[in-house]
Amino acid sequence: MSDRLKIALLLAPALLLVGGLFFGGLAVGVVRSLGVSPALGGAGPTLAAYRTLLADPEFLRSLALSLHISVISTALAAIIGVAAALLLRRTFVGRGVATVLFQLNLTVPHLVGAIGILYLLSQSGLVARAAHGAGLIGGPADFPPLTHDRWAIGIILVYVWKEVPFIGIVALAQMQALGEDWESVARGLGASRWQALRHVLLPLILPGVLAASVIVFAFTFGAYEIPALLGQSYPAALPVLAWRRFTDPDLAARPEAMATALVIALLSAAMIWAYVRLVRRGVRA
Amino acid sequence: MTRVTLDALTAVYPGAAAPAVDGLTLEVAEGELVALLGPSGCGKTTALKMVAGLLAPTSGDVAFGGRSVLEVPPERRGAVLVMQGGLLFPYMSVADNVGFGLRMRGRPRDEIRRRAADMLERVRLPGLADRRPAELSGGQQQRVALARALVVGPKVLLLDEPLSSLDAHLRGEMRDLIRELQQELGITTIMVTHDQEEAAILADRVALILQGRLQQVDAPRAMYDRPATEAAARFFGGRNFVPGTAEGGRFLSALGPLVLPEGARDGPGLLTIRPEAIRPGAGPENTLAVRVTGRAFLGTATRLTLAAGDVTLEAVLPPDTADAFAPGGAAEVHLPRCALWVLPPA
Repeated sequence: MSDRLKIALLLAPALLLVGGLFFGGLAVGVVRSLGVSPALGGAGPTLAAYRTLLADPEFLRSLALSLHISVISTALAAIIGVAAALLLRRTFVGRGVATVLFQLNLTVPHLVGAIGILYLLSQSGLVARAAHGAGLIGGPADFPPLTHDRWAIGIILVYVWKEVPFIGIVALAQMQALGEDWESVARGLGASRWQALRHVLLPLILPGVLAASVIVFAFTFGAYEIPALLGQSYPAALPVLAWRRFTDPDLAARPEAMATALVIALLSAAMIWAYVRLVRRGVRA
Repeated sequence: MTRVTLDALTAVYPGAAAPAVDGLTLEVAEGELVALLGPSGCGKTTALKMVAGLLAPTSGDVAFGGRSVLEVPPERRGAVLVMQGGLLFPYMSVADNVGFGLRMRGRPRDEIRRRAADMLERVRLPGLADRRPAELSGGQQQRVALARALVVGPKVLLLDEPLSSLDAHLRGEMRDLIRELQQELGITTIMVTHDQEEAAILADRVALILQGRLQQVDAPRAMYDRPATEAAARFFGGRNFVPGTAEGGRFLSALGPLVLPEGARDGPGLLTIRPEAIRPGAGPENTLAVRVTGRAFLGTATRLTLAAGDVTLEAVLPPDTADAFAPGGAAEVHLPRCALWVLPPA
């Protein structure tokens, strides 16, 4: 048996599983989004669902909301994560403990974080009640809405809380791998502490931080549970909208649900593609 | 031209039992190139960081031109560091790397470009300005790093293992370049290295540091010929140490009486001779009858292990000469008196 055949046979089970489940699911999704459905006796492949979607104000508002959530969550998580890594890489007493605490919520599921935010920050939450107890507000309605709010503050808070350690750990690992020599060289050449950070350390860790950020962006753009728990019902984030339409009793909404899901996947893929290009250019530049 | 003075410089890392650098006192003259030499972990890089201002000493002082620079931050101290391997910024062109220091000082763009191009020419790399560091060979990278350091007109140049990352055939070229530029520009230079050969070929003087302590400061040749301690002698490849007593120009030991060079001091001591100084055959004096106990071919030379009574000596001879010394056989060697050196007793 040739080596090539042997490798193909050995890989076959895994490939079948990945290919069957992932690409099979994707293919069914694409077919359904095109309105082909034997059960409904549909009219054959058509882009009607996509056309409807792009003209649908609800979809467009959901898209804007999802982009708003992802862009702000990712940017905040990246800035805070890198800043935290800069602090944690210094030597200080208790650094080991601090690093463990910093990473701790990596193990906590998103859902738990969301419920925690509800308990804490909703208009009937702990903070609101404490404020009421202290006589700062008259009733629940006086507390600023931080969950189920227009600006998705509660959703963004959960994502930032959860993704800061993720980006921070990646940045910290990169900084530790680089060591201090690069900045030492820059300082000797006349760079201030800030210049060494801005012109040497940050560009050096950029590829890793970008990679982590893209993962965060794609995740926050496509995740369902946090906006479902903490989001407004109108406009809902894209994944929530997709699910709502998928479970709509009116089966005619199915193609639109599938089209929505595919738009999420497509935009995520576009982000990753843009990232790869950016990093390649960054390495050359 | 800047004189550099290290005065009882000491660094203790938190939690460490022994200081990394222990009371290092050293004066580097204007335009001089001094090598801090020692095995890895001996504290030499720590010393270099204190001179650069990247690490505050626990005690002691660093002075440039007689004035303490401890309060001066690294970017204003005028001591530039060239690290092993060059550490060029990978996301910048060669020209931008060389111009980095000038850019940090806010010099105008035209001036940066012109001075960077000049300096690239001086390190014999014209026409590479637009390349990326990854496109250069190791030797070219090291030269760009040197240009990047020199373009800012430093008072003091600090080199960390400047030749270690280079292939043997590039070392000579880089050595000549460093020497030429360093002397032309008259920059006081301190380099650190673990490689005695690197120190010997580059430095005016060598400061040997073992376990954070300065052992000896001397010209490279003197470190080989007249080591101050047994540890120093061993670091420079010394293998032969015979305890005994010097008395009236002779050394009395298990080897019998040996004639010492003039001016040798009387008293107990440790006689040493470099392996390559031992001569084959009988000589006018200091001839020893030996038994050959081992022979190893080293490429350009052959190492012999010789037993003279209870004393084991090591000799390094040209391979042709060493062929006459068959393992197990008897032979004669002699120890020229000018090659004998008596160390203080251990």
